[in-house]
Amino acid sequence: MTTINGKDIRKLVIACDAGMGSSVMLAGQLRRALKKQPVTVEHTPVDSIPADADVVVCHTGLAERARRGAPDVPVVPFEVYLGDPAVDKVIKAIKDGGDLSV
Amino acid sequence: MSEPAAALLHPRAVRLDAVAADRDDAVRQCGWLLAEVGAVTSAYTDSMLERERSISTYLGEGVAIPHGTASGKNAVRRDALAVLRFPDEVDWDGHPVTLAIAIAARGDGHMAILAELAQILLDPDRARGLREATTADEIIRLLQPAEDPEPEKEPEEEGSAL
Repeated sequence: MTTINGKDIRKLVIACDAGMGSSVMLAGQLRRALKKQPVTVEHTPVDSIPADADVVVCHTGLAERARRGAPDVPVVPFEVYLGDPAVDKVIKAIKDGGDLSV
Repeated sequence: MSEPAAALLHPRAVRLDAVAADRDDAVRQCGWLLAEVGAVTSAYTDSMLERERSISTYLGEGVAIPHGTASGKNAVRRDALAVLRFPDEVDWDGHPVTLAIAIAARGDGHMAILAELAQILLDPDRARGLREATTADEIIRLLQPAEDPEPEKEPEEEGSAL
């Protein structure tokens, strides 16, 4: 278990397999939601997560691969692509500067 | 850069009265339609099926977004979308699907459209409007990203700069 503060998140990475569908959709949603925040939202293949990512968001089915590829970066897994509470928590932590336990 | 819905979704890539026996049949039809409009080679369909077997592309509200895996990108000739509507529904891993929005992409040009789709599906009334659309033009219009992509129900935090 790691705790990070939303204010320390500068780069949020959505890790995916192909980067064509759900991750692109989620990246678009998060960019909208975080438009006014000093946060970069990117989506990258799960095997090439950039070292400077502050937090990684990915489907539960990819979480283990994400953790192996980026052992030092907190990984937030989600189950559903729309309105997943795990993703909402990340947005809220970034907006309000709250703590995020992952 | 984001592209307008009409640039990525050609009316010829919209089928309003498709019928599929099961999910794999529906995915094959999606691949066939993307190939038909010149967006992918026929090899893409296998990559779409592979993706469904690892992680389903079912989104919610009766909509799935079938697409290929990372290796399937080699079969993409140009970025495009295709829409197949199944009025009789298809069983998609236990979820009834009415609308499949198939994706072929190497770049991010469709990001704004998918973000718009997410907004639509989070609103049950708009989601029903999309499922019940009866023309290709209507579907293209509904998926057109809003000019100012501001979340509608969020109160303004500060005064408008205008």
